Amino acid sequence: MTRRDKALQLARRGGIVTGLAIAGLVGVYIRALVYTPIERFQGPAQKIFYVHAPVAWASLLAFAVCGLLSLAYLFMRDRRVDLLAVSSAEVGVALSVAMLTTGPIWGKPIWGTWWTWDARLTSTLFLFLLFVGYLVLRGALSDLEVRARYSAAVGVMALVLVPFIHVTVYWFRTLHPAPVVMKPESPSLPGVMLTTLLISIAVFTLLYIGFLMLRYALAVLEDVKLEEAAHELS
Amino acid sequence: MNYPDNGAYMVAAYVVTAIVVVGYAAMLFFRIRKLR
Repeated sequence: MTRRDKALQLARRGGIVTGLAIAGLVGVYIRALVYTPIERFQGPAQKIFYVHAPVAWASLLAFAVCGLLSLAYLFMRDRRVDLLAVSSAEVGVALSVAMLTTGPIWGKPIWGTWWTWDARLTSTLFLFLLFVGYLVLRGALSDLEVRARYSAAVGVMALVLVPFIHVTVYWFRTLHPAPVVMKPESPSLPGVMLTTLLISIAVFTLLYIGFLMLRYALAVLEDVKLEEAAHELS
Repeated sequence: MNYPDNGAYMVAAYVVTAIVVVGYAAMLFFRIRKLR
Protein backbone atom coordinates (compact mmCIF):
# COMPACT_ATOMS: atom_id res chain seq x y z
CA MET A 1 0.00 0.00 0.00
CA THR A 2 1.45 3.39 -1.04
CA ARG A 3 1.54 6.50 1.18
CA ARG A 4 -1.21 8.02 -0.96
CA ASP A 5 -3.46 4.96 -0.47
CA LYS A 6 -2.85 5.01 3.29
CA ALA A 7 -3.67 8.74 3.42
CA LEU A 8 -6.89 8.22 1.46
CA GLN A 9 -7.87 5.36 3.78
CA LEU A 10 -7.21 7.61 6.78
CA ALA A 11 -9.27 10.38 5.16
CA ARG A 12 -12.21 7.98 4.75
CA ARG A 13 -11.98 6.92 8.41
CA GLY A 14 -11.56 10.54 9.50
CA GLY A 15 -14.69 11.41 7.52
CA ILE A 16 -16.66 8.73 9.38
CA VAL A 17 -15.39 9.91 12.80
CA THR A 18 -16.14 13.57 11.91
CA GLY A 19 -19.61 12.61 10.63
CA LEU A 20 -20.34 10.77 13.90
CA ALA A 21 -19.08 13.77 15.90
CA ILE A 22 -21.29 16.19 13.93
CA ALA A 23 -24.28 13.88 14.53
CA GLY A 24 -23.28 13.90 18.22
CA LEU A 25 -23.19 17.70 18.13
CA VAL A 26 -26.77 17.74 16.85
CA GLY A 27 -27.63 15.52 19.86
CA VAL A 28 -25.84 17.95 22.21
CA TYR A 29 -27.81 20.87 20.73
CA ILE A 30 -31.11 19.05 21.29
CA ARG A 31 -30.17 18.00 24.82
CA ALA A 32 -28.86 21.47 25.77
CA LEU A 33 -31.71 23.46 24.23
CA VAL A 34 -34.67 21.18 25.00
CA TYR A 35 -33.84 18.90 27.94
CA THR A 36 -31.46 20.99 30.08
CA PRO A 37 -33.15 23.54 32.38
CA ILE A 38 -32.64 27.29 32.02
CA GLU A 39 -30.39 28.74 34.73
CA ARG A 40 -32.37 31.14 36.92
CA PHE A 41 -30.02 34.15 37.01
CA GLN A 42 -28.26 34.06 33.62
CA GLY A 43 -31.27 32.90 31.60
CA PRO A 44 -30.97 31.16 28.20
CA ALA A 45 -27.52 32.73 27.57
CA GLN A 46 -26.09 30.36 30.20
CA LYS A 47 -26.60 27.53 27.68
CA ILE A 48 -23.77 29.02 25.59
CA PHE A 49 -21.58 27.39 28.22
CA TYR A 50 -22.43 23.91 26.78
CA VAL A 51 -20.65 24.76 23.53
CA HIS A 52 -18.14 27.38 24.68
CA ALA A 53 -16.43 25.33 27.42
CA PRO A 54 -16.15 22.09 25.35
CA VAL A 55 -14.86 23.92 22.26
CA ALA A 56 -12.33 25.72 24.49
CA TRP A 57 -11.27 22.32 25.88
CA ALA A 58 -10.85 20.88 22.37
CA SER A 59 -8.86 23.94 21.21
CA LEU A 60 -6.46 23.79 24.15
CA LEU A 61 -6.14 20.02 23.68
CA ALA A 62 -5.22 20.60 20.01
CA PHE A 63 -2.61 23.22 20.93
CA ALA A 64 -1.17 21.04 23.73
CA VAL A 65 -0.89 18.05 21.33
CA CYS A 66 0.83 20.30 18.78
CA GLY A 67 3.27 21.53 21.46
CA LEU A 68 4.09 18.00 22.64
CA LEU A 69 4.56 16.77 19.06
CA SER A 70 6.78 19.79 18.36
CA LEU A 71 8.93 18.82 21.33
CA ALA A 72 9.04 15.23 20.07
CA TYR A 73 10.03 16.45 16.59
CA LEU A 74 13.06 18.32 17.95
CA PHE A 75 14.37 14.99 19.30
CA MET A 76 13.17 12.57 16.61
CA ARG A 77 13.35 14.72 13.44
CA ASP A 78 10.59 12.55 11.96
CA ARG A 79 8.59 14.28 9.20
CA ARG A 80 5.38 12.46 10.14
CA VAL A 81 5.56 14.00 13.63
CA ASP A 82 5.94 17.45 12.07
CA LEU A 83 2.94 16.87 9.79
CA LEU A 84 0.84 15.66 12.73
CA ALA A 85 1.88 18.75 14.75
CA VAL A 86 0.83 21.21 12.04
CA SER A 87 -2.44 19.28 11.59
CA SER A 88 -3.24 19.65 15.28
CA ALA A 89 -2.29 23.36 15.17
CA GLU A 90 -4.65 24.09 12.28
CA VAL A 91 -7.52 22.20 13.92
CA GLY A 92 -6.83 24.17 17.13
CA VAL A 93 -6.98 27.47 15.25
CA ALA A 94 -10.30 26.49 13.60
CA LEU A 95 -11.86 25.47 16.93
CA SER A 96 -10.47 28.62 18.59
CA VAL A 97 -12.52 30.72 16.19
CA ALA A 98 -15.64 29.18 17.76
CA MET A 99 -14.20 29.59 21.28
CA LEU A 100 -13.27 33.26 20.76
CA THR A 101 -16.65 34.05 19.18
CA THR A 102 -18.97 32.26 21.60
CA GLY A 103 -17.14 33.74 24.64
CA PRO A 104 -17.95 37.38 23.80
CA ILE A 105 -21.50 36.41 22.75
CA TRP A 106 -21.96 35.09 26.31
CA GLY A 107 -20.07 38.04 27.84
CA LYS A 108 -22.29 40.75 26.38
CA PRO A 109 -25.55 39.79 28.17
CA ILE A 110 -23.84 38.52 31.35
CA TRP A 111 -20.92 40.97 31.86
CA GLY A 112 -22.39 43.83 29.86
CA THR A 113 -19.38 43.91 27.52
CA TRP A 114 -18.22 41.86 24.54
CA TRP A 115 -14.59 41.82 25.65
CA THR A 116 -12.35 42.74 28.57
CA TRP A 117 -8.56 42.65 28.60
CA ASP A 118 -8.22 40.40 31.62
CA ALA A 119 -5.65 37.64 32.03
CA ARG A 120 -7.75 34.68 30.79
CA LEU A 121 -9.16 36.36 27.70
CA THR A 122 -5.93 38.11 26.74
CA SER A 123 -3.76 35.00 27.13
CA THR A 124 -6.26 32.92 25.12
CA LEU A 125 -6.28 35.49 22.31
CA PHE A 126 -2.47 35.57 22.46
CA LEU A 127 -2.31 31.76 22.12
CA PHE A 128 -4.64 31.90 19.11
CA LEU A 129 -2.51 34.60 17.44
CA LEU A 130 0.65 32.62 18.24
CA PHE A 131 -0.72 29.62 16.33
CA VAL A 132 -1.91 31.80 13.46
CA GLY A 133 1.71 33.02 13.36
CA TYR A 134 2.87 29.38 13.46
CA LEU A 135 0.82 28.61 10.33
CA VAL A 136 1.97 31.80 8.57
CA LEU A 137 5.59 30.96 9.40
CA ARG A 138 5.21 27.54 7.80
CA GLY A 139 3.78 29.10 4.67
CA ALA A 140 6.74 31.48 4.43
CA LEU A 141 9.50 28.84 4.57
CA SER A 142 10.20 26.62 1.59
CA ASP A 143 12.95 24.40 3.03
CA LEU A 144 11.04 21.50 4.62
CA GLU A 145 13.62 20.73 7.32
CA VAL A 146 14.04 24.39 8.36
CA ARG A 147 10.26 24.88 8.29
CA ALA A 148 9.71 21.88 10.56
CA ARG A 149 12.47 22.95 13.01
CA TYR A 150 11.39 26.62 13.28
CA SER A 151 7.72 25.80 13.67
CA ALA A 152 8.53 23.12 16.27
CA ALA A 153 10.35 25.79 18.31
CA VAL A 154 7.25 28.03 18.16
CA GLY A 155 5.03 25.05 19.07
CA VAL A 156 7.11 24.25 22.16
CA MET A 157 7.02 27.90 23.33
CA ALA A 158 3.24 28.00 22.85
CA LEU A 159 2.88 24.78 24.88
CA VAL A 160 3.89 26.72 28.01
CA LEU A 161 0.84 28.97 27.59
CA VAL A 162 -1.70 26.12 27.76
CA PRO A 163 -1.39 25.33 31.51
CA PHE A 164 -0.88 29.06 32.17
CA ILE A 165 -4.30 29.81 30.63
CA HIS A 166 -5.89 27.21 32.91
CA VAL A 167 -4.49 28.81 36.09
CA THR A 168 -5.06 32.47 35.12
CA VAL A 169 -8.46 32.46 36.86
CA TYR A 170 -6.72 31.55 40.13
CA TRP A 171 -3.63 33.76 39.82
CA PHE A 172 -5.22 36.98 38.57
CA ARG A 173 -8.32 39.05 39.24
CA THR A 174 -10.52 38.16 36.29
CA LEU A 175 -14.15 38.34 35.19
CA HIS A 176 -13.92 34.86 33.66
CA PRO A 177 -15.63 32.14 35.73
CA ALA A 178 -13.40 29.57 37.46
CA PRO A 179 -13.49 25.96 36.14
CA VAL A 180 -16.57 23.98 37.18
CA VAL A 181 -15.21 20.52 36.30
CA MET A 182 -11.40 20.59 36.00
CA LYS A 183 -10.68 21.63 39.59
CA PRO A 184 -9.54 19.88 42.79
CA GLU A 185 -13.04 19.90 44.36
CA SER A 186 -16.07 18.03 42.96
CA PRO A 187 -17.90 19.66 39.99
CA SER A 188 -20.12 22.61 40.98
CA LEU A 189 -23.05 21.98 38.61
CA PRO A 190 -26.43 20.27 39.06
CA GLY A 191 -26.49 16.71 37.67
CA VAL A 192 -28.50 17.43 34.50
CA MET A 193 -26.29 20.36 33.52
CA LEU A 194 -23.11 18.44 34.32
CA THR A 195 -24.24 15.49 32.15
CA THR A 196 -24.94 17.83 29.21
CA LEU A 197 -21.53 19.43 29.64
CA LEU A 198 -19.71 16.08 29.85
CA ILE A 199 -21.51 14.74 26.75
CA SER A 200 -20.56 17.91 24.89
CA ILE A 201 -16.92 17.59 25.98
CA ALA A 202 -16.89 13.98 24.69
CA VAL A 203 -18.43 15.08 21.36
CA PHE A 204 -15.94 17.91 20.86
CA THR A 205 -13.06 15.56 21.72
CA LEU A 206 -14.34 13.14 19.05
CA LEU A 207 -14.67 16.06 16.64
CA TYR A 208 -11.05 17.01 17.31
CA ILE A 209 -9.94 13.43 16.59
CA GLY A 210 -11.97 13.35 13.35
CA PHE A 211 -10.60 16.71 12.20
CA LEU A 212 -7.06 15.65 13.11
CA MET A 213 -7.36 12.45 11.04
CA LEU A 214 -8.69 14.41 8.04
CA ARG A 215 -6.08 17.18 8.35
CA TYR A 216 -3.22 14.69 8.75
CA ALA A 217 -4.41 12.76 5.69
CA LEU A 218 -4.44 16.07 3.80
CA ALA A 219 -0.90 16.89 5.03
CA VAL A 220 0.37 13.51 3.80
CA LEU A 221 -1.35 13.95 0.41
CA GLU A 222 0.29 17.40 0.06
CA ASP A 223 3.64 15.87 1.02
CA VAL A 224 3.24 13.09 -1.56
CA LYS A 225 2.40 15.69 -4.22
CA LEU A 226 5.55 17.66 -3.33
CA GLU A 227 7.66 14.50 -3.58
CA GLU A 228 6.16 13.65 -6.98
CA ALA A 229 6.83 17.19 -8.25
CA ALA A 230 10.44 17.02 -7.01
CA HIS A 231 10.84 13.60 -8.65
CA GLU A 232 9.53 14.91 -12.00
CA LEU A 233 11.96 17.86 -11.88
CA SER A 234 14.95 15.60 -11.22
CA MET B 1 -40.40 31.82 36.48
CA ASN B 2 -39.03 35.01 34.87
CA TYR B 3 -35.68 34.71 33.14
CA PRO B 4 -33.51 37.43 31.55
CA ASP B 5 -34.52 37.91 27.92
CA ASN B 6 -31.25 36.93 26.21
CA GLY B 7 -32.21 33.92 24.10
CA ALA B 8 -30.96 35.62 20.91
CA TYR B 9 -27.38 35.49 22.23
CA MET B 10 -27.75 31.76 22.87
CA VAL B 11 -29.06 31.15 19.35
CA ALA B 12 -26.23 33.26 17.86
CA ALA B 13 -23.57 31.25 19.75
CA TYR B 14 -25.03 27.90 18.65
CA VAL B 15 -25.29 29.05 15.04
CA VAL B 16 -21.71 30.37 14.99
CA THR B 17 -20.39 27.09 16.44
CA ALA B 18 -22.31 25.05 13.84
CA ILE B 19 -20.99 27.26 11.01
CA VAL B 20 -17.38 26.91 12.19
CA VAL B 21 -17.61 23.13 12.66
CA VAL B 22 -19.46 22.33 9.42
CA GLY B 23 -17.48 24.95 7.49
CA TYR B 24 -14.11 23.57 8.57
CA ALA B 25 -15.24 19.97 7.90
CA ALA B 26 -16.35 21.00 4.37
CA MET B 27 -13.08 22.86 3.80
CA LEU B 28 -11.04 19.76 4.74
CA PHE B 29 -13.25 17.56 2.56
CA PHE B 30 -12.79 19.77 -0.52
CA ARG B 31 -9.03 20.18 0.03
CA ILE B 32 -8.64 16.39 0.23
CA ARG B 33 -10.85 15.85 -2.83
CA LYS B 34 -8.69 18.29 -4.81
CA LEU B 35 -5.58 16.18 -4.09
CA ARG B 36 -7.24 12.81 -4.68
